[in-house]
Amino acid sequence: MSGVRVGNRIIGGQSPVTVGWENVPRVEGGPFKQFFFTWFQPTVLLALVAFWYYAPSSIAKASTAIAIGIGFKILLLLMEWFFPRHESWRLTWKEFITDLFYVGLGYTVLRTVETYIGSDVIIEAVQSSFDWGKLTWFIGLPLLLQAFLISFIFDFGQYWMHRGMHNWYPLWLTHSVHHYITQLNINKGAVGNPVELFLIGLGIGGMFDFLPRAALLAGAIGMAVGTYQHINVRFNTPRWWRFVFNTTEHHSVHHSQDFEASRSNYSSTYIFIDRMFGTCVDGEAELLGMEGGRRMSIREQMTFPFTEGWRAIKERFGRDRLGPMSVPAE
Amino acid sequence: MNAPVNAMLETASARPRPKAPSPLRLFDWIWHISGKVPLPGGQPSDEAFARLAPLFEEPGTSYRRTGATLTFQKKDPVAQDKMAVFDRGVLHVEEGPAGAELHYRLASRTLLFCFLVPLLFLGFAQLNIALNKFDTAPAEETAKKPKKEDVVLPQHPIDKALGAPAPEKPKKKDPAEEGEGGRHSPTPGYVFAAIFAVLYGVGRVLESRLINKLLTRRLAGL
Repeated sequence: MSGVRVGNRIIGGQSPVTVGWENVPRVEGGPFKQFFFTWFQPTVLLALVAFWYYAPSSIAKASTAIAIGIGFKILLLLMEWFFPRHESWRLTWKEFITDLFYVGLGYTVLRTVETYIGSDVIIEAVQSSFDWGKLTWFIGLPLLLQAFLISFIFDFGQYWMHRGMHNWYPLWLTHSVHHYITQLNINKGAVGNPVELFLIGLGIGGMFDFLPRAALLAGAIGMAVGTYQHINVRFNTPRWWRFVFNTTEHHSVHHSQDFEASRSNYSSTYIFIDRMFGTCVDGEAELLGMEGGRRMSIREQMTFPFTEGWRAIKERFGRDRLGPMSVPAE
Repeated sequence: MNAPVNAMLETASARPRPKAPSPLRLFDWIWHISGKVPLPGGQPSDEAFARLAPLFEEPGTSYRRTGATLTFQKKDPVAQDKMAVFDRGVLHVEEGPAGAELHYRLASRTLLFCFLVPLLFLGFAQLNIALNKFDTAPAEETAKKPKKEDVVLPQHPIDKALGAPAPEKPKKKDPAEEGEGGRHSPTPGYVFAAIFAVLYGVGRVLESRLINKLLTRRLAGL
């Protein structure tokens, strides 16, 4: 497999990756279907932004966002069922309940833990120490600009944390298990070790809880873009969207079995952050996962970071510390 | 000793004693799926297993065939494996009243997991209820802190012109707003327990039908 040169790297040398938008297939079908799958993503983004911009304060709160998120996911799951991008990514009953288990962990035990040592604690510390007057310059900006800044600053942090997870072994241990997924479906974004899910949760709410509507808008932008990272539906995404935002295609390259391809497209929402730092690869991949596509069970997802970390520590420090093994004289 | 008695004792000790039925048999239907599929048109067992062979040549699958019986095991089967939900099983061909039939008995840890996981989520819900009881005392102390003066939040002229609602300062989370229980809600635990209970019912029926359909189609050469 020869791969394709992108910048200084060869992409697709180990596993097939389609590089270049001109090579990515488009949605087949009649004019209505083409229109629908071209404009679905921008329309949903515009609708969500308009909703949160104009919603009365009585409903502009987190519980509404959660309800919208669940409804949106159900819609996308139906779209996956009727318009799958790849047959090999089709959901089965087993995959559905496995994914839902991780989602359930996030809504239950992870949320409980976070109230003691996670983002909620940070929120309370920030709220009690901040003087409202000092923030006036920010909250006086236009609402959409506030939302964009919140979203961008958060995604900037996410980009570097994700890049760090792919470059620093201790962080990689927590993130590696997520890369064993071999399909991209709506709920597969939740698949992973709880430690990683907890680490991601640390960044989300901590900084911006005191800007309610702008934070909700930023969350809506994140949802209207980020949800498509893990989805088995093909869209004819407009060119401008693909330039600015992360897409399924970008994220499929990131999840590819090709090592170099996986070291690209780190951002969550704004792919232009990857463009800024030279880690963007425009293209798509179908063969995903690690170790040739080996599926990792729930039990191994939970234990792998620790067992693998222990193995690595023993390998690195055990023999070196004790010196070479003594050989009995004959 | 008496030779005939010795012979009887030796025979008795050599004969394997029938095992008492395991109590698990009462419950193993929870994670076992059994059934049978008629072999089409006098198909011999060799040809039947040859047609089913691709199902057992997936990554992570090992199998052994002895005569008219095939046993298999799967470890970490890929998502695209049509029998991924099963971990092990036995298939054998035997003659029935209407001709040869393929009998199968398959075990699925996934089904067992789905059956048991509602208990886990109920446990998380109970944990939250217990934590709410411990949290009540500190919440009362924080409520006594003097509230800061309300600041009028600015709104940009563009937002005002476009008709956006006036900005509101977020209210500090107080127990009344979160519900009578406290800040840890047991509701998600109950919801997910119910979801998985329903999904188990769906899966138990669905997977049973799917495997029967799969084996029927493969035996027919489709």
